[in-house]
Amino acid sequence: MKKYTTIVLLLLFSLVAQAQQKGTVLIKNGTVLTITNGTLEATDVLIKDGIISKIGKGLNAPKGARTIDATGMYVMPGIIDAHSHIALDAVNEATSPVTAEVWTGDAINPMDVSIYRALAGGVTISHALHGSANAIGGESETIKHRYGTVDPDVLRMKEAPRTIKFALGENPTRVHGGGSGIVPRTRMGVEAVFRSSFSEAREYMKKWDDYNVNKNKKGFKGTAPQYDLRLETLADILRGEIIVHCHSYRADEIYMLMQVFKDFGIKKLVFQHVNEGFKVAPELAEFGAMASVFSDWWAYKFEVYYSTAYNATILHKNGVVTSINSDSGELIRHLYHEAAKTQKYGGLSDNDALSMITINPAKQLGIESRVGSIEEGKDGDIAIFKNHPLSIYTIPMMTIVDGVVEFDRENDADDMRIYADPKETIDVTLHETGHAGDRCMQDAEFLFHE
Amino acid sequence: MTGLKLVFMRRALLILFLGLSYLTSDGQSNEMAPVTRTYAIKNARIIQAPGRVIDEGVLIIKNGIITAVGKNIDIPAGARIIQADSLYVYAGFIDGLSHTGVPKPREEDLSKKVKDPGNPPNDIAGIEPQKDVRNMLDPSDKSVDEMRRLGFAVSHAVPHGRMLPGQGAIILHAGETPDAMVYKQQVSLFSQLSGAPGIYPNTVIGVMAKYRGLYRQAEQAKAYNARYIQSAAGMERPVSDRILEAFYPVIDKQLPVVFKAEDVLSIQRVLDLKSQLGFNLILADVKQGWDISEKIKNSGAKLFLSLDLPEMEEKKSETDTTRAEDKKEEVRSDSDLEKQRLQARKDAMIKKYYQQPALLHSQGMIFGFSTLEAKSKDIRANLSKLVENGLSEDAALAALTTSPAQLLGLSATMGTLDNGKIANLVITDKSYFDKESKVKYVFVDGKMFEYKDEPKPKKNGDAVKVAGKWTYNTETPQGVHTGDIIINGEEDDYSGTISSTVSGDTNDLSDISVDGDQLSFSFTVVIDGNAVLIDVLVTVDEDTFEGTMTAGDYGSYPIEGERTPEK
Repeated sequence: MKKYTTIVLLLLFSLVAQAQQKGTVLIKNGTVLTITNGTLEATDVLIKDGIISKIGKGLNAPKGARTIDATGMYVMPGIIDAHSHIALDAVNEATSPVTAEVWTGDAINPMDVSIYRALAGGVTISHALHGSANAIGGESETIKHRYGTVDPDVLRMKEAPRTIKFALGENPTRVHGGGSGIVPRTRMGVEAVFRSSFSEAREYMKKWDDYNVNKNKKGFKGTAPQYDLRLETLADILRGEIIVHCHSYRADEIYMLMQVFKDFGIKKLVFQHVNEGFKVAPELAEFGAMASVFSDWWAYKFEVYYSTAYNATILHKNGVVTSINSDSGELIRHLYHEAAKTQKYGGLSDNDALSMITINPAKQLGIESRVGSIEEGKDGDIAIFKNHPLSIYTIPMMTIVDGVVEFDRENDADDMRIYADPKETIDVTLHETGHAGDRCMQDAEFLFHE
Repeated sequence: MTGLKLVFMRRALLILFLGLSYLTSDGQSNEMAPVTRTYAIKNARIIQAPGRVIDEGVLIIKNGIITAVGKNIDIPAGARIIQADSLYVYAGFIDGLSHTGVPKPREEDLSKKVKDPGNPPNDIAGIEPQKDVRNMLDPSDKSVDEMRRLGFAVSHAVPHGRMLPGQGAIILHAGETPDAMVYKQQVSLFSQLSGAPGIYPNTVIGVMAKYRGLYRQAEQAKAYNARYIQSAAGMERPVSDRILEAFYPVIDKQLPVVFKAEDVLSIQRVLDLKSQLGFNLILADVKQGWDISEKIKNSGAKLFLSLDLPEMEEKKSETDTTRAEDKKEEVRSDSDLEKQRLQARKDAMIKKYYQQPALLHSQGMIFGFSTLEAKSKDIRANLSKLVENGLSEDAALAALTTSPAQLLGLSATMGTLDNGKIANLVITDKSYFDKESKVKYVFVDGKMFEYKDEPKPKKNGDAVKVAGKWTYNTETPQGVHTGDIIINGEEDDYSGTISSTVSGDTNDLSDISVDGDQLSFSFTVVIDGNAVLIDVLVTVDEDTFEGTMTAGDYGSYPIEGERTPEK
């Protein structure tokens, strides 16, 4: 009896996958949109142990591997969202204008059903960004949508470089100036916060350098500067180890940040939202800054009135690496529609439009050597669509991460929650989930004044 | 009757009542020293340790120590004899983490006093690792008696607070003074992932970063201090810092960190901190560990499982089935089917909480129990649930006695009924895990507590009295809110108001309803120009209440309060 109980218990408790799984799968006879190497008709893609091992015709599946018939369907790289706040238990540590020491990687919630919803829209990777309450927010985490685990480590994309969130304009000035009565109260204040923070970090680095040079000398009596996680992170930005993703709207302050970064020798810069980017597109290209934009979302606050749906096209045509993002647990489900809008507004080619949700966001996250296109040797992250993904009639059919089928429209259960809430009130008429919509200012509302 | 006589009568009555209450004091150790400190428990079923039972045995206690256990033992002269025929004797239970004996401080909203919310003073931010729970103990706190009645003789007690509330101690649930209660001081550094309302560190990402920062600074300061002690001359004097110094014994691995980590994600966040910083860890009040038991095991952390369990709604009784059949047509509708599926999913989830100890035990994990979040009135029923769901009585007893003793380093003196151990005992009329059993005696540190009557159970179905004036406080990420709730009228016709000392507003209550000891009501406030409906659901326990306040999409927050005494 005891043994039986144990077995039953083990069965009950073993539903959740623990390790990062790598799958083997053969996708047969689809129209393969490689993004970096054109479109290949009636072509097979073989993913072996999570890696794209072969692209060609008449490929055979390894023994026991699953074969997916993609005849008549479109096979594209998994969609990448460079700006998202899904799968996070905390988005903003909004209490201080500079919180470089915090990290959204500490708040990853692998059980957020938004991950599955994103998968149902072909999205395999998202950038779990800190919010925009602070001039210098927290480090962020690039996650792979390996749904079905309770282990946050499984979601982390280990190969992804470090990123951090900055913010300009109304959000930081209203939260800290308006809410708490401290700097920054104005756009000038935001610039001052950057300059003083980086100056402080430089001094900190110098003190450590001096200490390290002298500490082993005979009779050395000096002290090391006090360890400071905030300044350590800022120093790593100065060292070029972290990509800065900056929330921005207005051209003047976009230009301002580039000047600040030039003065401090910081090169890795991606602007987020960047609604007035079209006004400073050549300057962005010259700096080498990239841009991650909404397709056509604006006028939700004063600083976002001067906007155009041609923004992505103008930036792209000026040589700025541009992506289209969601910033939303709802929009993330149809980024392929968002990308298609660049064809309506600007007439981009299919390939350029799809680049905006694949290889370009991959470049912005520093992961283009692993993902963002269908190439041998890259990760087996694939989205399969019924029609061309830019068609308004298309339907996402299947989404694969590391060769593992994470979403299959033919096999799509109703209740995809990993844990149910033992205290929930069961009410089938409940519509609001609290997960959709803009979470950029989550955890900061209480400081938001005016 | 003359006035003088009346006064005398009153005095006499007063003396009489005092005397009576002295004689019948239920479960209270006599204030006067007992005549003898030698006890003999005769003819009892003595469970010395899980699986080690003596039938019709004798146990002798002298001066607070167990001096003999077995059959055929001579009873010393002068011993107070307890005829324990058919009674069960267990070692006193050990609570792995609790606030027993530590009164909860009144919540105040201190964040308003902070000029820069990004840089608050440590005490307001909840960073007080230098504090010692010994300074907060109150032997007369009702939690001591409540836990003792359940058979818990010993607690690992820690202060209330947020991220770093202070250092824990092992306390005995007896003793006239705080010092008399303390068995072992400074046994742990208590930590939680709780942020400070409205100020830094506010969120879990802030708390994690702050924890790492403090720990690294402490390591650095400690190393510098060591260098300074070696050769101070010519070196800058290290500055004293009580916060960082509190980490020194942790860094030396002389003091473990005890982290409250309930859900599956918090546990893994704490394990991340452990693996990055390297401290010895006790994971406590764990509720959702079943899917990550391997990870917990591999971390080497010690484990205490929460005795707070979610409640499963009772299945409909037989008499309801006929009614259900009448409604068959309705049951077939899509929404009803979906409701059924969701309910089944929820019940299956709750079952996992109930089965967790059995599962972890079958995986060879050693654990005790903790009661930080558990209500004392639920603890015995919850222990029974765990046993009903596959945990053997021996394993349950181990988790209450030998395992916590081992995990907390107390095995030399506690956890079993053996010669030389401290006389901590629980004596029951049936097996402790039998739902019908009653605790008859508890010995703590050789002091006897006798329980003749169970505390009166609340009559089920009887609505509690809610009318009157209450003060409440609730903590949201924005800060602590306090104010008054006034409820007028009577059943089926209540009205009332709620005020907030923060906003200065008073709002009318709607939908006030009372179901047994559950009080619920709603009110509307304006947030950012939007009307937000706030729902409050609390459990009333005579003059206090506890529950949750749900503010639409803003989330749910705990709320508690107490009745304002009528003048």
